[in-house]
Amino acid sequence: MRFVHTYLFYILLSLMTLSRLSVASSDDLSHSEYQQNSWYQQGNHWLKQRILALQAQREISSENKAKNVILFVGDGMSITTLTAARIWQGQQAGKLGEEHFLHFEHYPHTALIKTYNTNQQSPDSAGTMTAMMTGVKTRAGLISIGPEQDRTECGDSERYHQKTLLEWGNERGYSTGVVTTARLTHATPAATYAHSPDRGWESDLLRHPNAYWHGCDSIAKQLVEKAFPAGLDIALGGGGSRLDNYYDSFRQQFKTGSLIHDQASLLSLTLGSEDKALGPVLGVFSSGHMKFELDRIKTNHSKPSALKQPSLKEMSEQALKYLQSKNENYLLVVEGARIDQAHHKGNAARALAETAMLADTVQRLDELTSDDDTLIIVTADHSHNFVMAGYPKRGNPILGVSKNQQNEQVIANDGLPYTTLGYANGRTAGRQTTAEQVPTEKAVNTEATDFHQGVTTHLSSATHGSDDVALHAKGPGAYLFSGLMEQHEIFHTIMQALQNEHQADKDNSLGSKAL
Amino acid sequence: MNVLKLKKSGLYFIALKTLSINCLILSLISCSSGLPLKDLKSSDQWFQEGHENVQRRKTELDEQKKLLNKYIENSNKAKNIIFVVGDGMGVSTLTAARIFVGQQQGLLGEEFFLSFETFPHSALVKTYNVDLQTPDSAGTMSALMTGVKTNEGIISLPDSVERGVCAAHTNLPTLMDLAKAKGKSTAMITTARVTHATPATTYAHSVDRNWESDNYLTQAAKDLGCQDIASQFIETGAASLDVLLGGGRRHFLPQEEGGKRLDKQNLIQQWIGKNGEQGKGHYAGTKSELDAMVMQVKDGKPWLGLFSKSHMDYAYQRPAEQPSLQQMTAAALTRLEQDPEGYAMVIEAGRIDHGHHAGTAYKALTETQELHETIAWLLTQVDLTETLIVVTADHSHTLTLAGYTTRGNPILGEVVGNDYLGYPKGSPSLDDNGEAYTSLSYRDGPGAINRQLSTHDTHAPDYQQAALVPMDYETHGGEDVALYAIGPMAQLFSGTLEQHWVFHALKYAM
Repeated sequence: MRFVHTYLFYILLSLMTLSRLSVASSDDLSHSEYQQNSWYQQGNHWLKQRILALQAQREISSENKAKNVILFVGDGMSITTLTAARIWQGQQAGKLGEEHFLHFEHYPHTALIKTYNTNQQSPDSAGTMTAMMTGVKTRAGLISIGPEQDRTECGDSERYHQKTLLEWGNERGYSTGVVTTARLTHATPAATYAHSPDRGWESDLLRHPNAYWHGCDSIAKQLVEKAFPAGLDIALGGGGSRLDNYYDSFRQQFKTGSLIHDQASLLSLTLGSEDKALGPVLGVFSSGHMKFELDRIKTNHSKPSALKQPSLKEMSEQALKYLQSKNENYLLVVEGARIDQAHHKGNAARALAETAMLADTVQRLDELTSDDDTLIIVTADHSHNFVMAGYPKRGNPILGVSKNQQNEQVIANDGLPYTTLGYANGRTAGRQTTAEQVPTEKAVNTEATDFHQGVTTHLSSATHGSDDVALHAKGPGAYLFSGLMEQHEIFHTIMQALQNEHQADKDNSLGSKAL
Repeated sequence: MNVLKLKKSGLYFIALKTLSINCLILSLISCSSGLPLKDLKSSDQWFQEGHENVQRRKTELDEQKKLLNKYIENSNKAKNIIFVVGDGMGVSTLTAARIFVGQQQGLLGEEFFLSFETFPHSALVKTYNVDLQTPDSAGTMSALMTGVKTNEGIISLPDSVERGVCAAHTNLPTLMDLAKAKGKSTAMITTARVTHATPATTYAHSVDRNWESDNYLTQAAKDLGCQDIASQFIETGAASLDVLLGGGRRHFLPQEEGGKRLDKQNLIQQWIGKNGEQGKGHYAGTKSELDAMVMQVKDGKPWLGLFSKSHMDYAYQRPAEQPSLQQMTAAALTRLEQDPEGYAMVIEAGRIDHGHHAGTAYKALTETQELHETIAWLLTQVDLTETLIVVTADHSHTLTLAGYTTRGNPILGEVVGNDYLGYPKGSPSLDDNGEAYTSLSYRDGPGAINRQLSTHDTHAPDYQQAALVPMDYETHGGEDVALYAIGPMAQLFSGTLEQHWVFHALKYAM
């Protein structure tokens, strides 16, 4: 035994010496053993690809203009959500998970985004989406109106309306569309086409009395009687309960338009041809928000055709094909809305599945477009208080309890295991994790779709987080997304990528106002 | 406040119709606190500022595109490399620290940028270890320093070794070794023990991060020739580093002299030379000795500075005999700038992580502030046409910023929300138990054991934010961390990156 030790010692010494010598003698380390390490080779390979990409980018003139823009917003898709969803999707595909990339995480350009509203450290979707859609940071709850306006106060609010990206596009001959899994009148999609002093004014009856007094239309009415007439081409999502009073109005206005309510009608949508242009499309596939993807898959097959809902991917693909069929440049906003809503319920499983669905949607639309003329942006409007704690072993099921290298549950000081994922606040107060090895009558499967992670602070609904979110981009102008950016700069960067004289527009549109 | 509940039930219109008045009057009755808005910037100002920022960014990025050709064809791209690690400085830590520092300057906070957050390039970095979803510092810093992802607890060795088992292995050359091979000078500066996992990866190779001094090694490991980390520095460290500054004297001293070593060796004596014999280098144990060492910068000898027994004290309570991170950086820079070939310097704010582990956000934020100030100072000292600065974290923590806090709410304070008109309320938001709560909290750790109400002084250094899962120490977080870069070839850093790729980009830039 002693001999073996000595022998190993010499091997060790010689190896150590060798590596030292090779380092000291030359920086050409091409024959060194460590370079055969697969991680090292992977890193080296990435570097080569990265340099090639940078060189290729340099060849393309920075004057290269984006013809089309697709903005994907994962509502509440925090950085922690991205990591967890990546692992979830990787594990669904039989991998360990951590090494996986969501489709858009391969994109060459990234930025971090500061999300605060002008009056909230921890922002809401109305204010954040307004920042992205109008280039103006504003107060929480306002839909594409500037921060001068009080929330829920209609009086004088028109004065502070901010033109949205889609409105701007409509004026200049772009085809435009919005797709969401939420109600179409919900804050995020609403900020693409409407102006309202309160995100809650989705339908006529939900408005505050002062909206009647001063004449602020509901978001539903604005969609059907302002946005579509002004040139919005397609809007797909949920929200029939808010919109159904305006279906007749839509039909009367747009004889060549389509009002659709189920998956089959969406998938069989005739996209039009050169001789017969299809009018605007309004697709409303549910009364409230659309189903979470995990539930949609489960329930769709047992439902009659008229009640089957399309997926985000199906809606987005049809919207894109429709816009492409118009032979004009286009601006499309796609929201993966229910990531946020699953987080609000403290339900990680659904939030991760929604995020994976958004990633697949991005991939599909990426396949259907060209990097030469289409700028693709993927970001979130705000974060959540969603955490991923230590120290599970590599490849541990992301929805499971933390297990160590010996595959044993890690036990906290209270004698209970704990899930990797959790929330700081929300409705499921206290420790929720119990499992087979812990003597209890209420054994819980933490990986079940309906499991709600326990929280520290008991609130009826989990709140948003205030930390920065990520932005991934590719295509013309994508390089302008870099560093740490204020959220409203996303709008201005899109404008720069489209290379239009928007500054002049702004001056014109506001010039007459007594500010 | 009934308004919101009524609204939910769909009776909103009917209930308010009876009042048939507008918000202004309603607010006089009950709804608005009347506290003023803090941010009065107009729509036009936001629009104009956003537009100008994008134009400025475009100009800067286009300039860099033009330089790219030159850099790619140049074998010496960045003469100097400064690699900065905030240990445990996750994205939520950055947001919180930004608000914390901004508020000290009299700003609302959210609009502030930490010194390195103004860098033009950023990336997201995946931090997992080969064997751990939520990683540790040894594995993550080894990935950053050697280009090879490895296991938890391993110092600059590949994942083929088993933790704690001494066996034959190939050392992975570190970024510092590569810099030395290029004739550059090198430095490692930290506020943790210099033998702690993160700094150790720059000069040592160990199958266990805990082998900081010989008392942690088994006899079998010693017989096989495995060396503790402190000994490795004294014996071969100068081949990797010209300067090593931080804490951790105890691992260099024998137990007889108040240290941890069992081998009766005083490594500091060995380093400086006994009884007038020629030593290996200079040593400083205090701020004044560091100043004295700077005076001898011309002789080119390596430096070792050990300013505390274990980790250095937190910045907010550091005694005068311990230099600050900035003072250590300044001293090292003086030494490194002697080298016409340039330098590679690693700076670690080592105790952001410790503040988090203790469940005390104040400590983590003040440590992040010290890093911010150090980088702000560095930016006034270095030439960015020849110096690449990269700032990142090795891993995240479970810190969250929650609640619908009003703008400019003190970052360490209780959550105060807005009323339905959008103005700050006059009192904190309450949870379903009727208690106020802080915006900052941790998923796990001591905050769940010694649960303190937020009616305590939440701004106190020792205040432990609420946590759910009771543990002696709060754990790391598993999500991606941010990376900010400026200088030659900083363009390499964008996208979602595997952590070990960062090394390859640094190596290429050097």
